[in-house]
Amino acid sequence: MLQGRIRTFVRQWQLQSMVIPGIIWMFIFCYIPMFWLIIAFMDYSIAKPMLSSPFVGFKHFEDFLTDDRFWRSIRNTLGMSSIKLVLGFAIPIVFSLLLNEIRSVRMKRTVQTISYLPHFIAWTIFGGIMLNWLGEGGVINQLAIGLGLQDREVLFNSEPKYFWWITFFSDVLKETGWSAIIYIAAIAGIDPALYEAAELDGANRWQRMWHITIQSIRPTIAILFILAVAGILGSNFDQIFMLKNNMNLKMAESLDLYIYNMGLVSGRYSFSTAVLFARSIVALWLLLMANYASKKLSGDGIF
Amino acid sequence: MPMKRIKMIKPFMALTLSMILTLSMAACSGSDSNENENKSESSTDTGTTKTDDATATAPATPSAEEAAWKLDTSPIELSWFVGASWYAHQWGDSLNSKYITEKTGVNVKLEVPSGDANEQLTLMMTSGQLPDLISMGSWETAVKKLWEGDQVYALNELADKYDPYFYKVAGDGTLKWYKQPNGNTYGIPNDSYSPNLMHETGMTAANQTFLVRKDLYEEMGKPDLSTPEGFLGALQTLKDKYSTYKGQPMSPFFAQGNVPYGMTEYLQNLLAIPYEKDGKVYDRMTDPDYIKWLKTFRSAYEKGLLNADFLVDSDQQVEEKTNNARYFMMIREWTGMAAVNPMLAASANPDSYYIAVDGPQNSNGDSAKLFPGNMDGWMVTMISKSTKNPERAIRFLTYLASEEGQRDLFLGKEGETWDNVGGKPELKTDLVNLVNTDIEKLEKEYGVLDTYWMMRNPVIVNQWRPEKSPVIKQMEDFANAQADIDSGIYKGLDPLGDSEVAVNWAKISQNWQEVMPELIMAKDDAAFDKIFDSFLSRRDKYGFVQVMEYRQTELDARKAKMAE
Repeated sequence: MLQGRIRTFVRQWQLQSMVIPGIIWMFIFCYIPMFWLIIAFMDYSIAKPMLSSPFVGFKHFEDFLTDDRFWRSIRNTLGMSSIKLVLGFAIPIVFSLLLNEIRSVRMKRTVQTISYLPHFIAWTIFGGIMLNWLGEGGVINQLAIGLGLQDREVLFNSEPKYFWWITFFSDVLKETGWSAIIYIAAIAGIDPALYEAAELDGANRWQRMWHITIQSIRPTIAILFILAVAGILGSNFDQIFMLKNNMNLKMAESLDLYIYNMGLVSGRYSFSTAVLFARSIVALWLLLMANYASKKLSGDGIF
Repeated sequence: MPMKRIKMIKPFMALTLSMILTLSMAACSGSDSNENENKSESSTDTGTTKTDDATATAPATPSAEEAAWKLDTSPIELSWFVGASWYAHQWGDSLNSKYITEKTGVNVKLEVPSGDANEQLTLMMTSGQLPDLISMGSWETAVKKLWEGDQVYALNELADKYDPYFYKVAGDGTLKWYKQPNGNTYGIPNDSYSPNLMHETGMTAANQTFLVRKDLYEEMGKPDLSTPEGFLGALQTLKDKYSTYKGQPMSPFFAQGNVPYGMTEYLQNLLAIPYEKDGKVYDRMTDPDYIKWLKTFRSAYEKGLLNADFLVDSDQQVEEKTNNARYFMMIREWTGMAAVNPMLAASANPDSYYIAVDGPQNSNGDSAKLFPGNMDGWMVTMISKSTKNPERAIRFLTYLASEEGQRDLFLGKEGETWDNVGGKPELKTDLVNLVNTDIEKLEKEYGVLDTYWMMRNPVIVNQWRPEKSPVIKQMEDFANAQADIDSGIYKGLDPLGDSEVAVNWAKISQNWQEVMPELIMAKDDAAFDKIFDSFLSRRDKYGFVQVMEYRQTELDARKAKMAE
């Protein structure tokens, strides 16, 4: 068995070697830095040589665990991620399914291209566009007034209660097409014979979509779901940084932004590392949990 | 019908999106090629330094009487980090930079941070790769770290070794001001103003002004804006009569830098709130006059006379409103209006530019006490220990700091960009015209005046400054008249960095940024008081006592230094 694998591996060396740069990259940028998590337990100063800073134990962990703002940022991160996960997770799947049903190849390609283009606009620019749309004279106000939904301009960005929804919708707008690519690729890999057989058996389009397309891309969905759950404590820093302001900060400050504001701005690298370290531990735990649950429920998992 | 519209919208959106995409890609590739240039030039740089070392062996003794840069004018490249992401000028494109490179042999490779200057410099520090010369805002934490971490040369040591003439030009006062406890001075400031000098000349760096749009203000009959009643009255008139301009809503008010600057420090300065009382640092935040004015803003908001836009707008939105003269009143640095005002004055509505007037005043009716500029200056320039050419670097800085260098940098080459008129250098007329019409062209093509301000010494260059256009001069004169010349010492007393007290202060000031909007949006004065009280108790919890102690120690230390 093992010998067979080795033989296959050797036979495919050209293909296998393509992954080497990726492994090197990961080793340098993901594994080596792990050692430096050690500064979370030090009072690290960039002016001193590495490792010569004094150890302070869990001081920085205590620091943030006793800070109200830290817990507020946890709430905001969880809030925004939950909306994204619960409401947003299915959107690219539905989109790719719909796209798959389009008969005209040209139309399909056009829609796909247009929908993923916004992904390539940096958040610094896209955020600026969003701010203009949300402003007093922006499209959204004009539209809402025109439709009679509101009678005067609303500064959407000054209302903390709108913030989570603004991040959600702007993210959907920008990323749906891009996130759908992986599903579209998975759908493209389905054997057409399955569809033909189903058609012969008298399955209509809905039934084919449900029983063949969705079932075939289920592993992909499971993997992306597990990763999404593991990333629940993460947030899109660029997006939030662009859209936040003093007035919506109480709902806008995510964990990342908290680390930035309380850590990096003042050059508190040990503190920042400590928060990130804690977050990574929780994320790992979430990943394992989601994987376990997915395996139990559907049989699909990462490992 | 709706279907049709959607069909119309789609191709339009596609077009827009693709345009945006092409633009952004163009921008990307632009910066890419820049980076490549960087790389290739830095590689040639190492080449030139080698040849330079060979020529430098020629005997050359620097003296205290003569600038040492003349001893060696072989071509060399120095990289210069300018800690301002918005700084867009190049070296080598403009006439003036070519002239200086030709004269001294030094070619400057300007580098600017892509994001936050402090972060970028910190990153460079950890990697140990610093540019030859570094200019950073004097208040930035990275500056202190560079000094403490011994990553930059002590300028006095370099001067002793390579160019004693440095002491002649560096200004005794500024050298002393930045002297560290170990006796070394690591940086040389630009735009540094000593109180004595300001008293002497009446010229200050004061720029925090209260501005109003001239035409509206005059049509309203120049209302008194210095009292809460007058202020609210003018806002009411604006709402009743001038709520839109060019079809778009007017924004009644703007405060630069939002909460931490415009609505805190600048407003407090307008109200002439003291920094110290009887030798003790004063807590300006709780001053009754300041509270009274915050409450005035609150009631203006409650009455719908004030929008929240000034608290939430992005820089870009602010710029758009400014360029369209859509603000009525502003607490703003007049220097930020130097480009816009002439433009507005030349527009179809030539009276829609901004003038400085008396803004909010305290209950005594005292005139404003504006920050006048101080010894700290704006940016400090340092020579990093990564440089392979400390000798050329200190000589170049000495040259730039000297009267000759200041003149070259500010005016350019004699006969080309300026003429000697009766013993006084004067910028050529067509260039002076450009100052008021197309300052961008002036800076890009000629590179004179304030293009390269990294070593700008106002004492020297202000005598050559061409007369400003009246729409700018009005604001400047107003600010100069209200400058509180002896208050420069109070700037930046707050602790910065990662020390415990600095973290306390970071927590407090960041919390204030959130609390201030709440205060203005509070439903009544009682709610205001409640929010403010809870802020004060939170402030105590975060360790405000230590912050006050820090301010006191810092102030005492500065006074001792001034007395020296």
